[in-house]
Amino acid sequence: MKKRILATLISVAMVASMVVGCGSQAAAPAAAPAAEAPAEEAKEEAAPAEEAAPAEEAAPAEAAGDLTFEIIVKSYQSSYWQAAVTGINQRAGELGVTANCTGPNAESDIADQVNMLNNAINNAPNGIGLAACDQDAVLDSLQAAMDKGIPVVCFDSGVPNAPAGSVVSTVATDNYSAGATAADNLYPALKSRIGNGQVRIGEINQEATSNSIISRGLGFIDKFAELAAADGYTVAVIGNEKYVNDCKAEKADEATADIVIEVAVPAQTTVELCATEASAIMNKSDVIGMFGSNQVAAEGILTANDTLQVLGTSDDTVLAAGFDAGSVIKGAIKAGTMFGAVTQSPLAMGITTIDVLVAAANGESVSDVPTDGYWYNADNMEDASIAPNLYD
Amino acid sequence: MKQKSLINRLGGQKFIVLLVVIALFAFFCALSPDFRKVTTFIDILSKSYYLIFMAIGVTFPLITGGVDLSIGTGLICYSLAGGYLIVQKGVPTGVGILVCLLFGILIGFINGWLIAVMDLPAFLATLCTCMITRGLGSICSKSMGICWPQNGTPGGEFRSIFKIVVNRNQYPVGIIWALIVVAIMAFVLNHTKIGRYTFAIGSNKEAAILSGINVKFYHIMSYVISGFFAALAAVAYSAVFTTVQPGTGAGFELEAIGGAIIGGVSATGGAGSIEGTLIGVFVICLLKTGLPFIGLQANWQQIITGLVLIGAVLVDIIKRKKEEAV
Repeated sequence: MKKRILATLISVAMVASMVVGCGSQAAAPAAAPAAEAPAEEAKEEAAPAEEAAPAEEAAPAEAAGDLTFEIIVKSYQSSYWQAAVTGINQRAGELGVTANCTGPNAESDIADQVNMLNNAINNAPNGIGLAACDQDAVLDSLQAAMDKGIPVVCFDSGVPNAPAGSVVSTVATDNYSAGATAADNLYPALKSRIGNGQVRIGEINQEATSNSIISRGLGFIDKFAELAAADGYTVAVIGNEKYVNDCKAEKADEATADIVIEVAVPAQTTVELCATEASAIMNKSDVIGMFGSNQVAAEGILTANDTLQVLGTSDDTVLAAGFDAGSVIKGAIKAGTMFGAVTQSPLAMGITTIDVLVAAANGESVSDVPTDGYWYNADNMEDASIAPNLYD
Repeated sequence: MKQKSLINRLGGQKFIVLLVVIALFAFFCALSPDFRKVTTFIDILSKSYYLIFMAIGVTFPLITGGVDLSIGTGLICYSLAGGYLIVQKGVPTGVGILVCLLFGILIGFINGWLIAVMDLPAFLATLCTCMITRGLGSICSKSMGICWPQNGTPGGEFRSIFKIVVNRNQYPVGIIWALIVVAIMAFVLNHTKIGRYTFAIGSNKEAAILSGINVKFYHIMSYVISGFFAALAAVAYSAVFTTVQPGTGAGFELEAIGGAIIGGVSATGGAGSIEGTLIGVFVICLLKTGLPFIGLQANWQQIITGLVLIGAVLVDIIKRKKEEAV
């Protein structure tokens, strides 16, 4: 009897965990009405997005009919993804197509996402939109999608080694140049403090597996080193091996370099672990600048600063550049704690993804669509061209 | 033989672990000049509160011979539920905290009921609630990251429970609360029925039943305490950090359980103390904060923390074997 009760309970627990697993899917459409404010902003966004998308898409919009797309985001962890989903749902609604959004619990749940992708392929949709957590883990699934004739559009992050022909288009911020944008703005502000003894720049990346984060990190390092080299300074890059090995910067010896760029990657993608890594760097007396390559990493820097109180915008403080938005980062920039940040346009990215999927499903030829990254700081964050991208 | 009794008189394993804390501290100070700063100590304290609360709570199930794996994802779940109400629904922060605590007690009760009444193995029951709270957290917050009100904004005053900032001077008052809670719970564990029966269940459950103790009730209570403290930890976590992300939290419970075991809670139940747990948590916190300072990459930090845990459990087992031999 006891055994039977136990067996029943275990099966109940298993079913419960399955239901919970599906919960994230059910929650996806719910995220859209919750973010009503961005949805209004989206209307303004829609216009430039249509310009950005290939021109031939305007016509098939009406003929879209009963197309169904499976969209897999990296997670719903940050408001960034919620803005992207809002864009996707909004455009799908306008065109009368069905977009089923799903995504794993956390951006580090690579295996979960691969499962979701495989499930999506089994549903045989007219197209799949994918923001891959790991650029290598999805390769087999992409091959399977191609074998079944399902076009895949990657958004946010590309999959560089995808089987030829499986990914018909990549809608993504040029992350490498977006990372470089941060360096472009940070370097001139720090220039006067370089050259009198060694200085240190810290960079926090939440992981070293996804293309978007790696590109941003490398873009920042390469651009900063390039600008420094142009002024005759030497640069050493230390820390996480992936970034040290892959950056193009000419690496000087750590002991003698004018500038040391120190790259840290936490064991998990959480704010508190990013904060621990950031604290370790920001405690060093020679730090003059910090860069956090996404919302989590930038908030980690700000959390570390809660105790350290070293960030600011004047010459005797550490200047921090962030990435993406969210209420914490926006508040810190307004308050003068954070020097500035690079934002992408997740809304426009979501809208464009649906446009490209519709075009691909209708058999048109599509190509990659790069979207922009913009630098913002306390001075321009209210501008009409910037504000709509700064989600909470 | 005499030396061993001296250590025992000074508090046994607790004393050894305290020495380890001091040694680790000295080690990091010696190796990294940047570590030797007041801000680093404040930082270690700020990041320790949630672990201290979780570890105090989980000490009770551990002493009964069970475990509570749901406290890590539970922490995030309670924080998301409370934070969602505060940020999205505009309820006062106090109400959000109350919801958070009640939620923790509820999940703790479910754990206790499954284990004490339905006889599920603790490992299995809390593993299930761990998964459930992980999903539930995402549902509560509509899968969005939630940031509790910031310092200086309406409702953000609760952050000064743990750290008061006056003209850039920071006072980590959270440690005072943590010590008070440690004192209270040490009293509960050693001088009240709840505590003594918790030990009784862990040492010999059959004997406890035969002596007429309402074992089911006190067994459930140990998990309710664990759930309540996971919720207190959720408040501490929300106060110290910024955005709480759905789907995270797995792994926190291992740090808390690890801290408790390093601090002398027996991995097989029946022995342990709250003071020991507190000291044990600081070993984990020191490793977490200190290892990045000496330039160790994240993956190595986890390996070293794992090795330290193996060491602590081995000490426990060797001690037990020696006792059995005598």
